[in-house]
Amino acid sequence: MVEKWNITVKFYRQKQGEKPHDQEIKMDVNPDENVIDLVERAWALHDRTLVFAHACHHSTCGACGMRVNEREKLACITPVRSVVANGGTLKVAPLRNFPVISDLVVDMGELYRRMDLVGHQPVDSDREEAIQPEFRPAGPAEPNEDFMRLSDCIECGLCMSACPVFSSTPDYLGPAVLAGAHQAGLEKNPLLFKLIDSATGVWRCHSAFECTAVCPSNVDPGWRIMELRRKVIGDRVKTLFNPRKPAEVGK
Amino acid sequence: MTKPHAIIIGAGFTGVATAHDLAMRGFDVTVVERGPIANGTSGRTHGLLHSGGRYAVKDQESAIECIDENLILRKIVPSVIEPNGGLFVALSESDLDYAEEFIAGCEACHIPIEQLTPQRALKLEPNLNPKLLVAFTIPDGTFDPLRLAMSFAATAKKNGANFHLYHEVKSLLMDGKATVTGARLLDRTSNKEIDLHGDIVINATGAWAGEITAMAGADVPIKPTPGIMVAFERRTAQRAINRLCAPADGDIVLPQRRMMVVGTTSFAADNLDYIPIVEDQIKLMVERAADLLPGLRSVKLRGIYMASRPLIGGGTGRSIARTFKCFDHKETHNLDGFVTITGGKATTLRAMAEKTADTVCAKLGINAACQTKETPLISYRQFYSLN
Amino acid sequence: MNTQSNFVVRAFRWFDPRGRSLSGWGFMIHRLTALGLTFYLFLHLIVLGQLAQGPDAYDNFLKSTESPLYKIGELSVVAAVFLHGLNGVRIVMTSFGIAVPRQREIFIGAMVIGLVAIVIFGIRMFIG
Ligand SMILES: Cc1cc2nc3c(=O)[nH]c(=O)nc-3n(C[C@H](O)[C@H](O)[C@H](O)COP(=O)(O)OP(=O)(O)OC[C@H]3O[C@@H](n4cnc5c(N)ncnc54)[C@H](O)[C@@H]3O)c2cc1C
Ligand code: SF4
Ligand code: FES
Repeated sequence: MVEKWNITVKFYRQKQGEKPHDQEIKMDVNPDENVIDLVERAWALHDRTLVFAHACHHSTCGACGMRVNEREKLACITPVRSVVANGGTLKVAPLRNFPVISDLVVDMGELYRRMDLVGHQPVDSDREEAIQPEFRPAGPAEPNEDFMRLSDCIECGLCMSACPVFSSTPDYLGPAVLAGAHQAGLEKNPLLFKLIDSATGVWRCHSAFECTAVCPSNVDPGWRIMELRRKVIGDRVKTLFNPRKPAEVGK
Repeated sequence: MTKPHAIIIGAGFTGVATAHDLAMRGFDVTVVERGPIANGTSGRTHGLLHSGGRYAVKDQESAIECIDENLILRKIVPSVIEPNGGLFVALSESDLDYAEEFIAGCEACHIPIEQLTPQRALKLEPNLNPKLLVAFTIPDGTFDPLRLAMSFAATAKKNGANFHLYHEVKSLLMDGKATVTGARLLDRTSNKEIDLHGDIVINATGAWAGEITAMAGADVPIKPTPGIMVAFERRTAQRAINRLCAPADGDIVLPQRRMMVVGTTSFAADNLDYIPIVEDQIKLMVERAADLLPGLRSVKLRGIYMASRPLIGGGTGRSIARTFKCFDHKETHNLDGFVTITGGKATTLRAMAEKTADTVCAKLGINAACQTKETPLISYRQFYSLN
Repeated sequence: MNTQSNFVVRAFRWFDPRGRSLSGWGFMIHRLTALGLTFYLFLHLIVLGQLAQGPDAYDNFLKSTESPLYKIGELSVVAAVFLHGLNGVRIVMTSFGIAVPRQREIFIGAMVIGLVAIVIFGIRMFIG
């Protein structure tokens, strides 16, 4: 038997050039469906003017990031049961720290630009063992062949929205971007070193660890930022005793 | 001469690929989409870069399209594809019976396969059902649906195409009763209406194609056929795992990021804008996935979703061919300036676009060859960074 | 990106308490105590400057320190030092890549120690 709940969903609404307001819609829901199903149904059956973004409905595209009861979530993998009780009110609002296009949709262009800037690889060889230890790892067809895998970061922007430092400092590269730099690998790129070893790079992080708390996709940006710091310090110690040749820096 | 202006309705796979093709052929292109990129079926596909094996027995036209396009996409857009191949796995005697037809079909469609013993198959994918009887390798892959669409959109944008996202087509502009000259749009971000005029209007709204043609008093034989998809929160294989049998419910489980995704079913829907999830189908999917990869039985579910195939013409569900069709409404309804492209698969998006662009060029008397087979796409991220 | 809002609004954005995790509160506590302690340092210097004006000023000041209001102020300074100091140790550790996956537990530990210390101090100040 499918359970039936009745809840109130409070949508953040804003059209261009207008002031934002909240809109309440009473909805019959199945507590096991995900928040994106409610949002889509609200558009299909209740109010055709609602604007929202989504694509994959299974946490692989990163389009459906929003704030559910103020907290950054991927709406497509957030069961209704986990965020509201029967008879209660659920609030959905767009991400913070990005300009709102309309209603629940924000412009994440800057995040995408910066991910390109640091050279994050959307498909990478499967260095981090996607098949976890409770299962047995697959064997490659050719002995020297690597499996390729769509990378963990789905560029959903949740971490950028939750980061209090990025809120106040838009120039701060931000957790997803620094994690992207970590994935891209500093070793290969001295310019990347310069970019992140700066006041808008790893040193701007103030250890709120909100990024790691909200990341839905195993990236753990907080840990990666600290790893980058370690690498930067390690590199400084190394170059203290063994200065880089000018030619290398210019590359 | 000024460039011809093409209006494309829908930014699913078909729409963005057509935008890319026409932009390369020198058209002025405007794409109109009521949601974000990949708002409809395209965003919610399984993500299987088909090798064609699934159709090699019953629908060889589709199978050949798939293998050809599979190889092209691997080359032009590698940054959204996990190219790790796939397996067809036989678990029962009846699966074994199907093997003969399967081998013959793949050969006829020049799909390269290799037969594996159970031991060898288990070495490649140790989490497979140990009771498997035989397996075949096949050049499947996995793609990221949104990023595949965005790569085409970004490249189209670089070549001058305009994208009006969150703009819904409300009606078609007509010159009398015989020519479509544009579309009336509602900008959903501001609730304002805009009229857009073009030399040709291309309806690429997939399962919704009938709603658009109805605006011009025409129809298309589209049969929207939804299916369910279930994502598990663990990855237990590196290759796409197909059941060696005639196309059936839940016959494909494939890896994506750190998940496995199983699909799908096939039934009829009333309201395409919202397709409710059917509980019984979830159970069926889990069972079918666990037949192939038993470990999945105890893995938590991560996402459940429905999407609607835009299948063409007669027959029902699985018996309908999976190929695509471009309708010139001058021929079907004596309506000028209007074509519909629909059917097909994600894997064949580029070929669908080529066919549409050929039709459009012929209609407008333009002589321009398709260049999309050899042109690498730019990074999907540039869809946002280009202005 | 979030350049729409003006500089002043942005300068306070970091203190947005909506939808925060525990470590997010840790960050806010850390920054608030830092601001508080800096403010205290200035106050301290100003008071010191006034004391240099002679023995009368000194005596008057000592008298004022007996008021409960002053004690509460004093206790907040002690509290801020504990919270900022203990959390500071955690931040230094994690900044060098030490125990990052355990930062949440360390935060809880640091705060528990801090609160116990504050309570002990408070008891001694007001009762003992
Ligand atoms: C469950 C399922 C799994 C599948 N799995 C695979 C797979 O693994 N591999 C594969 O190759 N293929 C797969 N397919 C097939 C493939 O996904 C579809 O063929 C393809 O996505 C269709 O794309 P499209 O662009 O034609 O339609 P859509 O993606 O549906 O695009 C139509 C667009 O038109 C827009 N639109 C509609 N009305 C209007 C309007 N009035 N104004 C403006 N815009 C409008 C919609 O918002 C939508 O974005 C699958 C299909 C289904 C249903
Ligand atoms: S790091 Fe995590 S939260 Fe941030 S954009 Fe990537 S997937 Fe989203
Ligand atoms: S819709 Fe793709 S991540 Fe939620």
